[in-house]
Amino acid sequence: MEKIELKGLDQNLYYEKLENGLEVYLIPYTNKSNYTMHYITKYGSIQTTFTPFGKKEKITVPDGIAHFLEHKMFEQEDGIDPFTFAAKTGTYSNASTNFKCTRYYFEGNQAFAENLNYLLDFVGSPYFTDENVEKEKGIIAEEIKQYDDEVDWTFDEEMKKALLQKDNHRIDIAGTVESIYKITKENLYDTYYTFYQPSNMFLVISGNFDKEEALEIIKNNQTLNNAKTNFKIKVYQEEEPLEIKSKKVEMKLNVMNTKAGYGIKIPLKNVEDKYLFNLYIGLMLNIKFGLASYFREELKKEQLMTSFYIERELIGNYLIIIFKADSEHPEKLIEKIKEELKDISVTEEDINRLKKVWISSEVMMIDNINISLENIVDDVIDYGKVIPNNVDIFRSLNKKEYDKMLKNIDLTNASTLIIRPKKDE
Amino acid sequence: MEYQKIDMTAFNLHVIQTDRFKTVNIRVCLRDEIKKDEITLRNMLASFLTYSTDTYQTKRDLVLKAQDLYAVNVYTKSYRSGRFNMINFCMSLLNEKYTEANMLEESIKFLSDVIFHPNFKNKEKFNEAFQFLYDSIETSMKGIKENPTTYSVIRMLEEMDPDMPYSYREFGYLEDLESLNYETLVNYYEKIMKNSLVDIYVIGNINKDEIKDLFRKYFPFTTFKRPKVNQLIEHKTLPKRSKIKKEIEESNQSKLSIGCKIGPLTEFERNYVLTIYNMILGGNSESKFFQIIREKHSLAYYVYSSLNKLDSLMIIKAGISKENFDKTVKLVKKLMKDMEKGNFTEENIQVVKENYISLLKEIEDNENAIIETYLAKDLLNLGDIEERKREVMKVTKSDIIKVSKKVKIDTIFLLEGGKSSGED
Repeated sequence: MEKIELKGLDQNLYYEKLENGLEVYLIPYTNKSNYTMHYITKYGSIQTTFTPFGKKEKITVPDGIAHFLEHKMFEQEDGIDPFTFAAKTGTYSNASTNFKCTRYYFEGNQAFAENLNYLLDFVGSPYFTDENVEKEKGIIAEEIKQYDDEVDWTFDEEMKKALLQKDNHRIDIAGTVESIYKITKENLYDTYYTFYQPSNMFLVISGNFDKEEALEIIKNNQTLNNAKTNFKIKVYQEEEPLEIKSKKVEMKLNVMNTKAGYGIKIPLKNVEDKYLFNLYIGLMLNIKFGLASYFREELKKEQLMTSFYIERELIGNYLIIIFKADSEHPEKLIEKIKEELKDISVTEEDINRLKKVWISSEVMMIDNINISLENIVDDVIDYGKVIPNNVDIFRSLNKKEYDKMLKNIDLTNASTLIIRPKKDE
Repeated sequence: MEYQKIDMTAFNLHVIQTDRFKTVNIRVCLRDEIKKDEITLRNMLASFLTYSTDTYQTKRDLVLKAQDLYAVNVYTKSYRSGRFNMINFCMSLLNEKYTEANMLEESIKFLSDVIFHPNFKNKEKFNEAFQFLYDSIETSMKGIKENPTTYSVIRMLEEMDPDMPYSYREFGYLEDLESLNYETLVNYYEKIMKNSLVDIYVIGNINKDEIKDLFRKYFPFTTFKRPKVNQLIEHKTLPKRSKIKKEIEESNQSKLSIGCKIGPLTEFERNYVLTIYNMILGGNSESKFFQIIREKHSLAYYVYSSLNKLDSLMIIKAGISKENFDKTVKLVKKLMKDMEKGNFTEENIQVVKENYISLLKEIEDNENAIIETYLAKDLLNLGDIEERKREVMKVTKSDIIKVSKKVKIDTIFLLEGGKSSGED
């Protein structure tokens, strides 16, 4: 077990890669009551065309199958579902699916060993029948409709549809009511055996537990030891072109306030260190558009927005930046953003101020077992490795590197999105 | 963990000493009786005070100061709790071990500045802040329908009792917003600073005497503690039959909200039996609602019940297709009746108790949850964590059956979405 010091945070991380390919990350705390364990496959909604385990021909499965599969993993042959098992010891259990991964988790403060074994067992034991697959369709159809009614959700989806031409991030994680009705137990098994092999998965445990005990349990788990693994996964995804799908999208929806969006698509093909690049982009956005920026003060003075957010996401070989706002003057607001992006120079003082903020936040975050776990998951999914020395990296940020890193960056490869109320009052 | 409540004359100082956290958390709670026409004012004031101060006259200046104090986080929460109106000022800062000497005092001074030196003196700066917050509040008021699940509950409560505090809209009202100005805000500020009950909670690796001195120095409250109205809302009579109301809204899914009134309970029933009852009926994925309505009949993705103890209400929420309305309501009624008949097992009770105890242990990991525990101790006379663990174990099946008979459906509300399942 490799010990990795999380520098400047008074906390260690332990890592081991098992023979079957499963990667284990352990963050034991000495002053917590709860533990949280997440068993994760690097398989999310975007991988829909692949060659199934043990087969020769590639197949394309219906949109939303990763999420459907997540629901169905809770079906067990003995009829006892994981919710019930966990609840017996007051443990909370759940699962979630996003674009890039699917996870199953237990959170509690009792029966650590039983729960860990059970987590590995149930995710390792698929049990699909025609009946239980059919039964789930009604539930998931309601879930999809619920998300369709959420404005923020719709906004993000429309923004991705505008920016992307081929990448599956433009398709809703849960699929559509139509696509999920095409899911069968056969394509669920194909998907499961391809992507749920230990060599495509990782396990993260954070909180109150003993690291030696945890590793012992993982190494001795029979379900895990019997699993077919180390099979090379072939996923087919058409390459996403640099060009934006739609430069400008306007629509009327059942919203009460007008929403403005500006999305930028930045290619990462020639970026050496994606992590560092993303960090400098974050620095730029914070200094130019953050809570302490002159830009925001101006927007407010000119009454151009009532709320303003910036998000960024790594999508394949691109970094996507999304500005979103509630604004009665969306065109004007978007023009202002474009104008501000023309000059992204910052001062050393700005950078030093942000460094202090980021380092402080890092310490605050490590106090929360869920956030420290989340940071590990993000690192593994986005960068394929854990970055244990964030604090040192933050300390080393500087203007020279900033200027070099962002010198030739094109921030004009972008889409605008405006969603207006159907009924203008 | 060591807790002490100190009488500081104008306020109570609650000091919770623990070495479990790298941060120090402070919460200043002001409460007084809620008045419907003051909600909008209260929200505006709460946002206004953390937007800028007399010392830091723009949001930018205020944020720069907070960043300089090693990213200290200051925010306000304003909400209703039973018949009380609450404004909380919250602050979270790093322990000096991770920053530098004197940061605790500097941060407390900063919080004091936010509370005691509002941006009232410079009219131009006042107007800037006021205008922006006015527009923001207006946007959130209008946007209320964009969250149909919440909106459905709001409408249900309005149908239930339009004059009771639980039906007041948390966001406030547009007509009240329009009547706000400099004078109303200043007057309201002075009023709550004089008339509120004030409690200050501080948790972290701190020294009690130092904290006491700092708050004496920087928190010159002059409020008088005196008894107020009873915070708890009780229903003397329970509905004989329920009323149904439907409203059409353009959305994909229909949102069902059911409001139940709860009859007079003993303290033990309210604090423990009711909690166990709710968890068995609809509190989690083990509950009757989840297992029968979702898993067995596939009628909903979410269906659960929750308690507003201080309003003596239980609220049931579900996202369904409109043609399943009758079927879902019928099942809800049947499952509630089953509780009255005692159709649940000792094992159900045991599992839920385990759950409750596990949740209590989890509180120890979260500073804010610990503060809430001590707040609830004062508001509901709910015991501390150890006492709660002991008390909950005493709940019996017959206690639960007795309580279940005092929970009656009052209003069934459907925010009716346009499309049915299957079609698209």
